[in-house]
Amino acid sequence: MDALNHLLAGFAAALSFKYLMFALVGCVLGTLIGVLPGLGPAAGTAILIPLTFSLDATGAIIMLCAIYYGAMYGGTITSVLLNVPGEAASVVTCIDGYQMALQGRAGTALAIAAIGSFVGGTLATVALVMVATPLATLALKFGPVEFFALMVAGLCLVVGLAGKNMLAALLMTVIGLLFAMIGVDPVRGAPRFTFGVEELYDGIGFVPVVMGLFGVAELLLAAEQRQARIIQANLNKWMPTKEERRASVGAIGRGTVVGFVLGLIPGVGAIVPTFMAYVIEKRVSKTPERFGKGAIEGVASAETANNAYANAAMVPLLALGIPSSPTIAVLMGAFIINGITPGPFLFQEQPTLVWTVIASFFVGNALLLILNLPLVGLWAKLLKIPFSYMCTGVLIFCIIGAYGLKQSMFDVWVMLGFGIIGYLLRKLDFPIAPAILALILGPMMEKSLRTTLEISGGSFAIFLERPVALVLLTVPVIVLGALLLRPKTFSKLRESDVD
Amino acid sequence: MIIRRRTLLAASAATAATIASPAIAQNYPRRPVQLVVAFAAGGSTDVGARILAAAAEKDLGQTITVVNKPGAGGQIGFTEIARAKPDGYTLGFLNLPAVNTIILDPERKAAFNVDSFIPIINQVLDPGLIWVKADSPYKTLADLTEAAKKTPGKISVCTTGILSDDHLAILMVQEAAKCEFRIVHFDSGTQQLAGVLGGHVDVAFDNVGSVFKRVQSGEVRGLAVTDVERSKFLPQVPCTKELGLTTVISSSTRGVGAPKGTPADVVKAIETAFLKAINSAEMKEKMDAVGLALKPMVGAEYAKYYADTQAQAKKYTEWALKMR
Amino acid sequence: MRQGRLIATGAMLAFCLFALWQSLLLSLTDRLGPGPGFFPFWLALIGTVLAVALLFTTFREPADPADAEVRILPQGPGVRRWLAIVVLVAATAVAMEVIGFRLAMLAFNAALVIALGERRWWLIGVFAIGGSFGVHYIFTRWLDVLLPDGLIWG
Repeated sequence: MDALNHLLAGFAAALSFKYLMFALVGCVLGTLIGVLPGLGPAAGTAILIPLTFSLDATGAIIMLCAIYYGAMYGGTITSVLLNVPGEAASVVTCIDGYQMALQGRAGTALAIAAIGSFVGGTLATVALVMVATPLATLALKFGPVEFFALMVAGLCLVVGLAGKNMLAALLMTVIGLLFAMIGVDPVRGAPRFTFGVEELYDGIGFVPVVMGLFGVAELLLAAEQRQARIIQANLNKWMPTKEERRASVGAIGRGTVVGFVLGLIPGVGAIVPTFMAYVIEKRVSKTPERFGKGAIEGVASAETANNAYANAAMVPLLALGIPSSPTIAVLMGAFIINGITPGPFLFQEQPTLVWTVIASFFVGNALLLILNLPLVGLWAKLLKIPFSYMCTGVLIFCIIGAYGLKQSMFDVWVMLGFGIIGYLLRKLDFPIAPAILALILGPMMEKSLRTTLEISGGSFAIFLERPVALVLLTVPVIVLGALLLRPKTFSKLRESDVD
Repeated sequence: MIIRRRTLLAASAATAATIASPAIAQNYPRRPVQLVVAFAAGGSTDVGARILAAAAEKDLGQTITVVNKPGAGGQIGFTEIARAKPDGYTLGFLNLPAVNTIILDPERKAAFNVDSFIPIINQVLDPGLIWVKADSPYKTLADLTEAAKKTPGKISVCTTGILSDDHLAILMVQEAAKCEFRIVHFDSGTQQLAGVLGGHVDVAFDNVGSVFKRVQSGEVRGLAVTDVERSKFLPQVPCTKELGLTTVISSSTRGVGAPKGTPADVVKAIETAFLKAINSAEMKEKMDAVGLALKPMVGAEYAKYYADTQAQAKKYTEWALKMR
Repeated sequence: MRQGRLIATGAMLAFCLFALWQSLLLSLTDRLGPGPGFFPFWLALIGTVLAVALLFTTFREPADPADAEVRILPQGPGVRRWLAIVVLVAATAVAMEVIGFRLAMLAFNAALVIALGERRWWLIGVFAIGGSFGVHYIFTRWLDVLLPDGLIWG
């Protein structure tokens, strides 16, 4: 098999001392950057790009990808230990991961995240090797029509996260969608609902909002209590118990599939597969009420899907030159700055480079696991720091993070404002996760519907002509309708309080 | 986030520059200069800007930091440039006709107008390119326009943004060939690629720099370059002038500008430094590699081009606005 | 607590009504179908209905004694800590663009750890300096993040 030969040659190169070092440095720096609350993988990757200028093309890509995976795992660490999501997709990990930390199982949560990420990433890369080019061409068939349907399906999945109060969840979703409408509208290309505030021209910043709703709000909650919410971090017990392992296997398996499949579709973004994997896990579980209270499957599925997605997203990137998420777009920009243009001709023109890079994905995934399992204790030690320093320290980075995105103090105010809002919502038991998902999916949904109508010339009948879109649209709508109209049948599902 | 190219030689370069180029104003520049790019890192404009910044640093004698301020189709970045202090330490990359159409669309409520900028020197002129999938039934532009005349409003064409140069080019073709397309707006070249290669849209109106490699490789077929001459990167693709569509001339140009009120000697210093950089062999080599055609224009020539683009954009923008 | 929920839902209702009004100012239709005001309008309408429904069900909820214990606003000694965070972050946001990142952060760090209970002066000093000048150095020199210099330094 041609691909296999190339891959073996790639391994020979990737395991050379030089490239191994690059991967290692990338993983460590990436994780470090990702751990800093407020700086997500996108920002973290962008920040570290200058490091690669002096490297050769292959070395640069290897280091950049390692930074990317490392930063994603770093985001996981802050999600579990501090309930501060490193980026959009880490939000899901916060839900159960932080609860596990509160119960003294932080080490286990981080360990299962590392293991799940490793398995998901490695399996995804194996699949990548086998089917890179043909799969990417197939994924191209996913156009704006199918995209819109996927978004709608994603939003309906929000019901899966609704918990006790579906009415509140739906309201939060709608409000999230309304906030998402601020910014450039897809019809005119002109600013909408900005009331002359220029900082809102591009929409209300997602990162400051999330940093506020999760990070700052958490600090405010902690500050109010007599004792700070100290997490009993048991460093020795990071190995999951037998039941936990058994429970996680299924979660990891399912997470890998979901993450990989969705990673192939350009433009999906990390948040959809992560949420989906989580919800699917909750659905198939015999004890869904545990979700939201520290269910290990919650962490395992989300993290596995996230990393499987990250690896699979390399397919549309390398084979087609199409980035799937903002973070990957940053990665692609870094490639271009270093003189590498991703695309199908990349495989033809520079096979050595491509296959060395793919081989280094395996290496990177393994390195992350080897690095982070023993370091789990180190990360958990972070929590012994007194609250006064921890709080101030996190806020320093949050302020830098919010400001540094666009050099805008306005974003810092947004973060603070949503911190207070998040605090109130948490106290009042309003679910926040649906609003977050709505905020991210809202603009994509409206834009893809608009593009769909442009393609169809204004006719909604196009949805009837595209089977994939049709299926994606009807199934969740039916599910949503059923849940709304027959609450008693599904009360068991709704008992678990997520968020 | 800004990504700054660090020159370790900045200090010695500054000394060398003062000796080598006496044309630089006496007390400018004294500290690093910011170059604001209104589009995202990694995009066509950004790539060109970074190459230019790295080359011009040596001639200017100070670090030039590229700052990305993307959003709202460039409006955020352009507003930033227009509002900056006119002391020569904040420069901006002006994308035409993006600047023009934003000003001309009343709904965008632009905080700047034509006079808000001093166009200093143009770097790139990236002509428009009309392309289709390799296995598309349209082999020439004439095929396409003929088919469009027979089925008005059915053949779908896509742009990289509402009121982008691609959008205006479509309107020009519709006017010249008397046909009607179904216009679809994407947000970037990569989305266009996915849209056309995936079979969702029939034709793409893009620019040479974005897809020239794929045309050369045969992955996509270039129908025409919307310019008065063929592109040196795609010599096999005819230009609209030779095809008889002489009014269909559309390109995306990117140049350096400063906010209104920047002193003339500072402007001259900037012009000198950047012109030197653009004419250097290193620059030509790097730009050739990414398919961006250099077209340096300075002073009156650039100012005239700026005004001409505004006039041309006005006509087609008003047409587009009427279509809403 | 129920009162708190009612107020919050009321606020959301007000928000939806505001959005409803604002979206009517935009055109709802367009040549191709939905105009810029279309989605916001329907969303705001649905939101209004949901908010009213939620107000209704919250009202009719049986009173939960355990629930009533929880107060929505911060109470007790925690109030000072809570306020310290909010006020200091706000103050820093204002100050940073005037006196620059380093000085603003220096003040912020010292003030906040003191407000949160720390009393070891040497540690406060080290932390304050490290967390302002040190962090500034790392971010601007190594990581290339632009931080405000303020009107004094810049």
